[in-house]
Amino acid sequence: MSECYEKMVDAYFEKPSRLRTWSDFDIKTTYTPEDVSHLNYKKDIADPGKYPYTRGIHEDMYRGKYWTRREVCGYGSPADTNERFKYLVEHGQAGLDVIFDIPTMTGIDADHPRVEDDVGIQGTSLPTLKDMELLMEGIPLDRVSASLVITSYAAPVILAQYIALAQNQNIDISKLRGTIQNDPLHHRFCGYPPSMSPLELSLKMAVDIIEYCTKNMLMWYPMNINAYDLRENGINAPQEIGFSFAMAITYIEGALRRGLAIDEFAPRLAFYCSSHIDFFEEIAKLRAARRLWAKMMKERFKAKDPRSLKFRFGVHTAGCSLVPQQPLNNIIRVAYEALAAVLAGVQSLHCCSYDEPIGLPTETAHQIALRTQQILAYETGVANTTDPLGGSYYLEYLTDKIVDEAEKILDEIEGRGGMFKAIQSGWVTAEIEKAAYKYQKEIKDRERLVVGMNTFQIPPEEETAVEVHRVSHESVKEQIENLKILKKNRDNAKVKKSLDAMRRAAEKGEKENLIPPIIEAVKTYASIGEIIGTVREVYGLSYDPLGVIQSGIAHFA
Amino acid sequence: MAKISLDGHDRGIKVVSRMLRDAGMDVVYLGTHLTPESVIQAAIQEDVDVIGLSFLSGEHLTCVEKIAKLTKEHGLEDVLFIVGGVIPQQDIPSLKKLGVDEVFPAGTMIEDIENYIKSKTSEK
Repeated sequence: MSECYEKMVDAYFEKPSRLRTWSDFDIKTTYTPEDVSHLNYKKDIADPGKYPYTRGIHEDMYRGKYWTRREVCGYGSPADTNERFKYLVEHGQAGLDVIFDIPTMTGIDADHPRVEDDVGIQGTSLPTLKDMELLMEGIPLDRVSASLVITSYAAPVILAQYIALAQNQNIDISKLRGTIQNDPLHHRFCGYPPSMSPLELSLKMAVDIIEYCTKNMLMWYPMNINAYDLRENGINAPQEIGFSFAMAITYIEGALRRGLAIDEFAPRLAFYCSSHIDFFEEIAKLRAARRLWAKMMKERFKAKDPRSLKFRFGVHTAGCSLVPQQPLNNIIRVAYEALAAVLAGVQSLHCCSYDEPIGLPTETAHQIALRTQQILAYETGVANTTDPLGGSYYLEYLTDKIVDEAEKILDEIEGRGGMFKAIQSGWVTAEIEKAAYKYQKEIKDRERLVVGMNTFQIPPEEETAVEVHRVSHESVKEQIENLKILKKNRDNAKVKKSLDAMRRAAEKGEKENLIPPIIEAVKTYASIGEIIGTVREVYGLSYDPLGVIQSGIAHFA
Repeated sequence: MAKISLDGHDRGIKVVSRMLRDAGMDVVYLGTHLTPESVIQAAIQEDVDVIGLSFLSGEHLTCVEKIAKLTKEHGLEDVLFIVGGVIPQQDIPSLKKLGVDEVFPAGTMIEDIENYIKSKTSEK
């Protein structure tokens, strides 16, 4: 018998070798009522729309409104990104979702001498209000929902640009609908050193946004705690909840210290979660998050408003579950992950494009990602009833298991003095690194199988070559040039005055909200680097996070 | 092993560094946000056999060009130069032309990197 038939015979008798979830929980052959006999339906699970919301935060769920179908988008100049917005909108996208390049994310100007390679890559470049004007050209801000993916302590500047643009168009900002990610503590786990992600200033800026939005923008979500990025670093499902809830606790305590009442701001907090490749575990994780959040808000923070108890979340399918080998297979991975998110009751979904492990999404890849959502919504029928898998012995068991595990992690962090201290001590980083290493080791030892990567490989020369989206060098160069020209031509006396006013506000102390003076500075076309640099100096940090530019104020003299 | 440019995606390079260490290699991981100059200086000081860089944000071509220029200036052409991360197949010939010896895109099995380094360094 030839070798290939030998393989077929083996394949015929093959059975699963790993009988554990992605997060390493043992799985039994069958689950029965006994496995969930300790659970009380009314107390632990409950109907959708009822505490503790395990089955969903809305009674009617998608019958009332589909999840928001939005795809993250951002590259090159703001005008380039605006073009792609139009493309996505023409193809049925329901909300905008814009991501910024790393200089913008880290509060550094595009004309900084060290960042030219990073401008317009991995996001779009928005150093000034001028760029926000170009990005949002033709978009009715008072009617759309926009998600601004900026997590760092520079987030106030992007929010201020959005507010300034609306105000310049005479739009009442209390009508603005959208989300700013604003989870600067997690930024530390995106590879940024302390000089680029100062913890204390991060927490202050995060609370400023919560406070400002609570008082002025009630339809806006001022915080989208990024569990997704943490998960992408290699941690497991209970850790994703444990770590991100611990971050949330830190921000909530900050807002309470600022003098806000829990029910004033908690209804507008939201999360950004992963939906990884283990189908049932991910659904269980998101259901567990709802139960745990409701209990925590009620018992620990004494929230009374039912909206404060509801865990709202967007999902980003897991980029790290995708591989560049046989890339079209990623479309299938994403579809399963998206299905899990929808079955778990997601509010807003981004599907990865299949070319994510290769480069920025091409138009076609972006379209397929959006179509994946549309097929789920319009063809599969999964949106017709709330929590269709609720009551499954396995799923309810797993949901409860993840609640328990996540609680243990929260206790551990509590024992370490809270998340802020756990980050400072290096414990969180160590836990993340340990998890990433363990995963890779299991891939190496083929304990975990990934099709195309460590099983069913094909030689590189047989791989499907996929088109690659390139950021235009010309538009990046032009973007940098335009910023230099703008800095020369704007009314620099006004810029200086606005930055001085902001500096004086910052000097008043941690409790002085900087969003209003930042909005004023943004309106004079002060740049993100100038604004962040000025605040950094007040907080005893170098003006320039990269330590190259000595002082930004010099050129106004 | 190092990351230049502003990109912070460091899960890959940290895990690869640790697993190469497991394989008995002496690995210095410099961290993220380094300048090309500081990577070259460290390579000279540590007298390394291999320089490894990781890119995930599409900045690999422009960054590698800078490092390659410095390697030539400092006469480090003998040092094995490898690159990993999110890198399209189409860019591998250009990277090799710039002086990269081998490219290991995301999804590479670590033993392939291990074996490559071992075979190349034992040739010397």
